[in-house]
Amino acid sequence: MSPHIVSAFDEDLRAITARIAEMGGLAEELLTTALEAVETRDSDMAEQVILRDKRLDRLEHEVDDLCVRVIALRQPMAQDLRLVVAALKMSTVLERIGDLSKNIAKRSKALAQAQRINLSGSVVRMGQQTLRLLNEVLDAFSSRDVALAVSVWRRDIEIDEFYNSLFRELVTYMMEEPRIIGLGSQLLFIAKNLERIGDHTTHIAELVYWIVEGEPLGDDRPKGAPVSMDGILG
Amino acid sequence: MSPVKMTARGVNVYYGDNHALRDVSVDILDKTVTAFIGPSGCGKSTFLRCLNRMNDTIPTARVEGSITLDGQDIHDPAVDPVQLRARVGMVFQKPNPFPKSIYDNVAYGPRIHGLARDRAELDAIVERALTRAALWNEVKDRLSSPGTGLSGGQQQRLCIARAIATSPEVLLMDEPCSALDPIATAQIEELIDELRQTYSLVIVTHSMQQAARVSQKTAFFHMGQLVEQGDTTKIFTNPSDRRTQDYITGRFG
Amino acid sequence: MTDAAAAPRPIDWADPRLLVRVRRRHGRDAWLRAAGLTALGLAVLMLAILVGALLYNGWAAFTQTHVTLEFEISPQRVKPEDPGAGNFRAIVQEAVYGLFPEVTSRRDRRELMEMISSGAPYLLRDRVMADPGLIGRSLRMAVPVSDPFDQLAKGLIDRNTPESRRRVSDAAMARFDRLVAMGLVSRPLNVGLITNADSRFPELAGLKGALWGSFYALLVCFLISFPVGIAAAIYLEEFAPRNRWTDLIEININNLAAVPSVVFGLLALAVFLGWFGLPRSAPLVGGMTLALMTLPTIIIATRAAIKAVPPSIREAALGLGASRHQVVFDHVLPLAMPGILTGTIIGLAQALGETAPLLLIGMNAFITQAPDGVMSPATALPTQIFIWADSPERGFVSRTAAAICVLLLFLVAMNATAIYLRRRFAKQW
Repeated sequence: MSPHIVSAFDEDLRAITARIAEMGGLAEELLTTALEAVETRDSDMAEQVILRDKRLDRLEHEVDDLCVRVIALRQPMAQDLRLVVAALKMSTVLERIGDLSKNIAKRSKALAQAQRINLSGSVVRMGQQTLRLLNEVLDAFSSRDVALAVSVWRRDIEIDEFYNSLFRELVTYMMEEPRIIGLGSQLLFIAKNLERIGDHTTHIAELVYWIVEGEPLGDDRPKGAPVSMDGILG
Repeated sequence: MSPVKMTARGVNVYYGDNHALRDVSVDILDKTVTAFIGPSGCGKSTFLRCLNRMNDTIPTARVEGSITLDGQDIHDPAVDPVQLRARVGMVFQKPNPFPKSIYDNVAYGPRIHGLARDRAELDAIVERALTRAALWNEVKDRLSSPGTGLSGGQQQRLCIARAIATSPEVLLMDEPCSALDPIATAQIEELIDELRQTYSLVIVTHSMQQAARVSQKTAFFHMGQLVEQGDTTKIFTNPSDRRTQDYITGRFG
Repeated sequence: MTDAAAAPRPIDWADPRLLVRVRRRHGRDAWLRAAGLTALGLAVLMLAILVGALLYNGWAAFTQTHVTLEFEISPQRVKPEDPGAGNFRAIVQEAVYGLFPEVTSRRDRRELMEMISSGAPYLLRDRVMADPGLIGRSLRMAVPVSDPFDQLAKGLIDRNTPESRRRVSDAAMARFDRLVAMGLVSRPLNVGLITNADSRFPELAGLKGALWGSFYALLVCFLISFPVGIAAAIYLEEFAPRNRWTDLIEININNLAAVPSVVFGLLALAVFLGWFGLPRSAPLVGGMTLALMTLPTIIIATRAAIKAVPPSIREAALGLGASRHQVVFDHVLPLAMPGILTGTIIGLAQALGETAPLLLIGMNAFITQAPDGVMSPATALPTQIFIWADSPERGFVSRTAAAICVLLLFLVAMNATAIYLRRRFAKQW
């Protein structure tokens, strides 16, 4: 896309994009560290996540200020307007991802106190899958790659299914071994958090599509059916 | 959806050897504000002036194609351009009241077309036009003072009053606010929105924000061509054509 | 891009070389001002000299020396049934001789009569014809003295010049001084300069014929050139297509304005007098000739005035559905009128001062009566000046200057009217 006649406008838009990219990078980093904390039972790392999340909150405010300024001073139109509005939303979404990562990190501290169980490995694998999608969707945003965004959007079902199977496994496990219900619930919450991050990732994919195409991505996304308890408790 | 008031099909305009407008087809809807946007020299004003045959007054101008008003071709020999211009009124870029009194400015159109039977009826027409143009309260006590003594925004509203005094069906506005301050501009825009209840309005503007604010339909002209037309919301949020997108986002070289 | 361009050398505004330049520039400004002032001063000086010289030469003509005589209108000399045929010359002679009873010789008496204007009997006749009741009574009336004595009274004849080189003899001078001593000589304002027609005798010559002639000629000129000029200008500005023909016409109109006026005179001589057979010396022909000259001025001024009407006014009217004639008559002409009137008056002022073409159509004839219409022979102000300037009599020198003053007065008045109209009717838009 050719540059604006007013070059300062381009600089403003670049600044917004750069902040979003920074937020994305930070969110990735938080999730990675949180997952590592779960995996290595390292509560120092978990502490680090909690501290780093503050930086993400600050960035969110910076992006909001920038967007408001651009809207007020430059009256963006069409794709520019969509970019600014999407950036406003993405900053919130990325901040939410940071919060969820922070929550995972907090839970990892509780996990570190308890005994090691196999299922935490599955949760970490689910987390890595989520992280991959987040990674790809941020790439799609910075390169305005609609195809990649759509592909991420379609693959969110993998996370959902991963979550469903983990859920079943955990519930079954807890039913068999009531002693680990506390630990299992922590893992269940971590999995739920990862599933939420996956949803936020699809939201970002939808925003990328909207920025470029100007219309919403259709409503026919493959979704995993909500987990039925019948089979488990039955 | 409002009915179609004017249609243009395959309109070409030449100024001497200069092909100013190429194959333009537009529908102007009744009780709707249609905005023409585009860079300077793109042909939007030229096209506007085709709609009331103002181009006839330029000796070198040649207009081809068909333009209809209520289904009747305005180039039909049965249509007199003088009457057409009463039915399709025009407001210009620079407020251009006649150097006469406020009353005479508004009464001029009805007078030359013989629309009033007596003085009382003319008074009523003048009052109605000034009221509709949201100027009556400001000038009712000084109708005999010169129209040129008003402020820029008032002058432009006087010009609008003058144009609507002949009860036109379509009102063409050629950058009506480009010489006005933001307050006066807002008053005119409010007025345009009011007038939409009665008339079909076409406005040429350089301010995209203005087009976005006042119009329901927008047409984008570029290099003498009609690039894109459609709902204003669509044009300003998600235009189909790359040139429209570049223009409205401020990317034109 | 070079490094020098990337980092411009800081400018030292206190650099002596720059300061010298600044001083030099100020010097040139002052020089330009001085040159303009000098030129203006020179122009004003020239004008002052011109007007001063005219007034100095002409002041004498604004008064006329009169001598008051006692005329016996006896019924023997003037028959009541036909007063016009009376012997007024004898009455004047009697009145003059009566003042100087000691003068008896024929030669001296003739010299005595030379003191009084030869027009005195005619003045007396006109007076009596206007009031036949005077017959049989005596009448005290002031009559102009002849030119040499008028000059003498105004001090324009040097009494110390030897008698042989003087137009007035010692004896005549003595007699005139006696009249002065008797209180019979007066010098009232020279009303005759305006109310008399031309005459061979400077003391009787006036501008009445020339003023009326100029008035009729300008009237004809105005009636022809004003409507024709405006119509032509309206057509050229508002209707004519822009093509080679209109360009040609435009160039020719501009050229016409620059054609020497004598050419118009020749044209008028050939066409109006030669082909149409119109009378010579008639203000009608003069006016038509002047109209030819004024036409381009009016057309150019009108076109400029019409062009100055903003196109937005035309568009506004056209946009309301006004037709072309409504645009022109309702908006363009009223707005252009001050400019048109100014141009017209300036054109007429030019025409008023025009001499050459009038000479060629015979408006420099010697005519002792004011014209009573556009067809009767007449002179005009500038041609009258021309005639007087050509006359040998000493008294015409000051009359010529006085006539020029009158002409200038009219020109100034017309130009002032033009300025007034422009100021008064100039509209703001």
